[in-house]
Amino acid sequence: MTERIYLFPLWLRLWHWANALLILVLGVTGISLHFAGPDMYLVDFSLAVRIHNVAGLALAALYGFFVIANAVSGNWWQYVPKSPGVLQRCWTQTRFYLWGVFKGEHEPFPMTREANFNALQAIIYWLVMYLLLPITIVSGLIYLNPQWAPARMFGLDGLLPVALLHYLSAAVILMFAISHVYLGTMGARPTSTHKTMITGWHEAE
Amino acid sequence: MPERMFSVAQSGWLAVCLWLLLGGSTLAAAFNPTPEALEKNRQANLKCLACHSEAALRQPPKVDLDLKKLRGLIVDPAAFAASSHARLACGKCHTEGYAEHPHAEDAKDMTSTCDDCHSKQARVIEAEFEQSVHADNLTEPMTCLTCHNPHRMQAAKNLKQPDLIVAQDNRVCLGCHDSDATFAQYAPEKKTRPLTDDAHAWLPNARMHWKSVRCVECHTPSNPNTQSHQILSKDKAVKDCVACHSRDSLLSARLYRHLAEEDQRKYGFINSAILGKPYVVGATRNPLLDGIVIALVVLTLVGMLAHGLVRYLAARLRRRKQHD
Repeated sequence: MTERIYLFPLWLRLWHWANALLILVLGVTGISLHFAGPDMYLVDFSLAVRIHNVAGLALAALYGFFVIANAVSGNWWQYVPKSPGVLQRCWTQTRFYLWGVFKGEHEPFPMTREANFNALQAIIYWLVMYLLLPITIVSGLIYLNPQWAPARMFGLDGLLPVALLHYLSAAVILMFAISHVYLGTMGARPTSTHKTMITGWHEAE
Repeated sequence: MPERMFSVAQSGWLAVCLWLLLGGSTLAAAFNPTPEALEKNRQANLKCLACHSEAALRQPPKVDLDLKKLRGLIVDPAAFAASSHARLACGKCHTEGYAEHPHAEDAKDMTSTCDDCHSKQARVIEAEFEQSVHADNLTEPMTCLTCHNPHRMQAAKNLKQPDLIVAQDNRVCLGCHDSDATFAQYAPEKKTRPLTDDAHAWLPNARMHWKSVRCVECHTPSNPNTQSHQILSKDKAVKDCVACHSRDSLLSARLYRHLAEEDQRKYGFINSAILGKPYVVGATRNPLLDGIVIALVVLTLVGMLAHGLVRYLAARLRRRKQHD
């Protein structure tokens, strides 16, 4: 018999899936643009530009909503790793992913209403949501309005560092997204956590 | 009868050689004058510019000048000094009838034409121009001077910097295509100026593009040796983003061709000549950085799949053990 707890309110779930969809669209079109050429078969360049621009603006707006809703609802507190023993808990969690999970050990820090994230998740999610995503969004907005970029930077075109920052931060977000989808299979059953993000109800082991 | 020193064929050959030598040396002397000749040209040009400049309009050096007529005949001394013809004396082209003032009535008719010096290029350009959209559509016949101001233009290979080349060349195109008044001077009577912004609505940030690349990048066919003068209509022009936005960007062979190769290799980026200039999506790439990013993404993907596979196999093994 598993215990069910209601963890994620509707606004958070809607934000999460809209965010996921936009990142997927931006990832596919972004790859099409960066690796553009006659042998690029993902999305046609001019179509990719239009989609990327619209989806980018939508993501920027959605991020604004996320920050405000997070602050108002108090959900931002979930992203703060709680002392003491943060590093120790991170190590315990890492050891579980690298070893314990293969031996059938239980999740060392199961989800609760008070703590949705374990310490490792809190740190990584904080870095992604409050550092990487803003960097990608701001550099993307400058990219969209190249006249905002400094004319020259380090003796190069001012847009080059902006473009590099956009490319690299987006690449890390893509890597995070891949791991995020996979780590979502580590619930009570492989599909449990994904269902939680749809219904809001968490199935505890 | 004294023996002839050279046969007819030999004499002919000698004449050709002499002509080439003299002709070549004259051209070479015109473009590579000695410091003394340069100074002589400069002094001679100062005499011309004493009247044919903005300063003369404000303060006429002579009382009998027709200022209204002169207004259309002035030269910007600074622009001329920077132009590709700066080393030449005015008299190189304005050959006869200009020694005295008032100038001879037919002096203008005796002015040299472009192909007097640029004959080799002129033959190629004329053939290209015949195929150009401008050859069909204009009421007034077009000459080199319609687009190229010989007192101002600088050869792209001397300018080198793409932003300067772009500004100079696009000023020529937009001079007519962004002005109803100038367009009307050359276009057939009922032809209205196509709105450049509307025609380029498909191009994101069109005006930003025009600051970074030349109109002729898309509106001329590719020519490996020189910039083609066959201007293509919008139906025939390149309308393919990846022609520029790709690893094999045509910009390297066109706008950036005059940048030195070592400059292009300096940073290790593909199309690195573009680096110092506007960043071009899809063209400005660092193969090493791309390789590292692709490897990390693939590693993440493979790592997750491998983790999942081991998890699945370990769980199966545990279940089997429990079963046993």
